[in-house]
Amino acid sequence: MKAEVVVIGSGISGLTAAASLTKRNRQVVIVERNQKPGGALKHFVRKGIPFDVGFHYSGCLGSGGILRVLWEYLGVWSHLRVHPFPSEGNDSLILRNSEKSVQAFFSYERLEDELQQAFPNEAEGIATYLKALRDICASIPFYNLDLSLTPFLRAPLSSAKIGLAPFLTSLTKDPDLQAVLASPAFLYGVPPRQAGLAVHAMVAHAFISGAYAIDGGGQAIVDAFLATLAEAGVDILTGQEVESVLVKENQVAGVKTSEGEIYASHVIYTGHPTSLLDLVPDGIFRKAFYNRIRNLINTDSMFVVFGAVDDPGSLDDLTWVNHYAIPSGLDILDVNLKYPEESALLMTAPGRRYSDSALSDAQRGIILMRPASWDEVAPFSVDSGKARPASYKRWKAQSADRLLDQAKKLWGYSRIEPLAIGSPLTFRDKLGVPGGAVYGVQHCLNQYNPGARTRLSGLWLSGQGTLMTGIVGASLSGLVTAGEIEGLEPLWDEVRQCR
Amino acid sequence: MISDEQVRRRVTQIMAEEFELEPELLQPDATLYEDLGLDSLDAVDMVVALEKAFGMKMTDEEAVRAVRTLGDLFELVCRLKNQQAAKE
Ligand SMILES: Cc1cc2nc3c(=O)[nH]c(=O)nc-3n(C[C@H](O)[C@H](O)[C@H](O)COP(=O)(O)OP(=O)(O)OC[C@H]3O[C@@H](n4cnc5c(N)ncnc54)[C@H](O)[C@@H]3O)c2cc1C
Repeated sequence: MKAEVVVIGSGISGLTAAASLTKRNRQVVIVERNQKPGGALKHFVRKGIPFDVGFHYSGCLGSGGILRVLWEYLGVWSHLRVHPFPSEGNDSLILRNSEKSVQAFFSYERLEDELQQAFPNEAEGIATYLKALRDICASIPFYNLDLSLTPFLRAPLSSAKIGLAPFLTSLTKDPDLQAVLASPAFLYGVPPRQAGLAVHAMVAHAFISGAYAIDGGGQAIVDAFLATLAEAGVDILTGQEVESVLVKENQVAGVKTSEGEIYASHVIYTGHPTSLLDLVPDGIFRKAFYNRIRNLINTDSMFVVFGAVDDPGSLDDLTWVNHYAIPSGLDILDVNLKYPEESALLMTAPGRRYSDSALSDAQRGIILMRPASWDEVAPFSVDSGKARPASYKRWKAQSADRLLDQAKKLWGYSRIEPLAIGSPLTFRDKLGVPGGAVYGVQHCLNQYNPGARTRLSGLWLSGQGTLMTGIVGASLSGLVTAGEIEGLEPLWDEVRQCR
Repeated sequence: MISDEQVRRRVTQIMAEEFELEPELLQPDATLYEDLGLDSLDAVDMVVALEKAFGMKMTDEEAVRAVRTLGDLFELVCRLKNQQAAKE
């Protein structure tokens, strides 16, 4: 088989890279190890209820928002029904140490009002924080579409070296306010003490500028891409693992999959960067690159209970409000705790936001999640595909019970029937990431994430480990990698015309 | 504290090992990009390798970008090492 470009992986980054390249008339083939395309965005169904895995809500989908602009450009926007959270929608944060509660609204004005009411003596720190987010994002092309892309990609932002923790502690001594301002870290997986202000700003700003839900969730995004890619004649080969990248005369020649060879002059790899090292013949990369990639620090994992209630009406409070419980101070993503469920957790019901009555079963679904460390499951770890020990099942059930117990204590939800459980082991095996790292490689201070370009001519990287994590970050990584192949600014110009 | 001479020897050793370069090429006047064949992508790998070996951060991009020869690199690492020692 032959193609111009082979994309390894059909997560949102691979789908975006493929769709961007077909816009430029490239002939693309996607190879996906799993039986179904979509990576972290595909849903699974239990008792008729579809559950989202890697998508609960997103920013950047309002008018002029980069994800909307990109989806308009790629032709997927018209397939989707996107709903902004109403003005009352928010991330409702319960501070575990003080039992104070704060509504983090998806609007700069409302958020500032709310924070000032909750923390009347901290007006200055609050204003400084919010201004910093806006100022930083004004210098980032994805938030300020007037800017060109190349300078941002080639040189780090001047704010890239500022740590989130010292910044927050300089603004306020109140551990509750620190926790509230640090809470968006939950959405990119870097503990605040390791996080940089710039990455924090990108994520926080996106949500404060407006949160959005999509009918059908992550699966609807995948389906929209599949429809667009099918029209463009892109083959998606599922159930095939890429086993190696073919190299001829120091130039990419294609890939060898579990089913045969595909010849191509460009290959885009969207999986976890560490696993790439096993796909490339010895002697291509230097030792320095191997060492750097092997030593990248990953995000931690999550422990997730996917449950159901009988009466969807009992979830009314959850429709446009995500319920978080967070510890005070900067400990939101601390793992290796004796009772991890007593620290940070999130209760959300993305299916409640679907407007389509055909999706009504989705409205009974509820998701509870908390940060989790690989160490919790290490004693039960066996290779992917092998039967797990009975002790693992017991541990999983007990951990789920404790999480459900917390939902009852914190929010009074007592009638949740657990239908599925995701542990770090589940995420390792289903997403193919080491340690079940839900957000992949950390985008943290002092870490140099790999970029799209590699030393091997024709081999490109993309995915949440490169540019940025989350739906927005991974999508943009797909666009950027396509841009590196096609010319960054011409592609960026085409995209920006859709605003 | 390690001497400047030790720093130089260690930098040479790291460059030889991590970039698989012939030790005799690693002279102070060798340019990283032309003589040693590194490129802008290798520069990040180099920074990461040196940071790890010397337990310090090379966060001043301007200074790193100004490095042209191996001698420049020796000088930069020595300077950062000495600054770090002064702080401790
Ligand atoms: C539980 C959870 C909740 C999340 N919640 C949110 C949220 O609410 N909002 C948000 O913005 N983000 C969220 N995220 C993060 C977001 O889902 C991810 O950042 C994003 O989907 C990553 O996309 P990707 O394309 O980089 O990777 P993936 O979706 O992981 O895709 C990579 C694909 O490559 C395939 N692959 C890898 N190697 C090979 C190979 N050798 N051969 C063939 N195929 C291969 C894999 O099978 C996989 O399908 C969440 C993630 C998780 C896990």
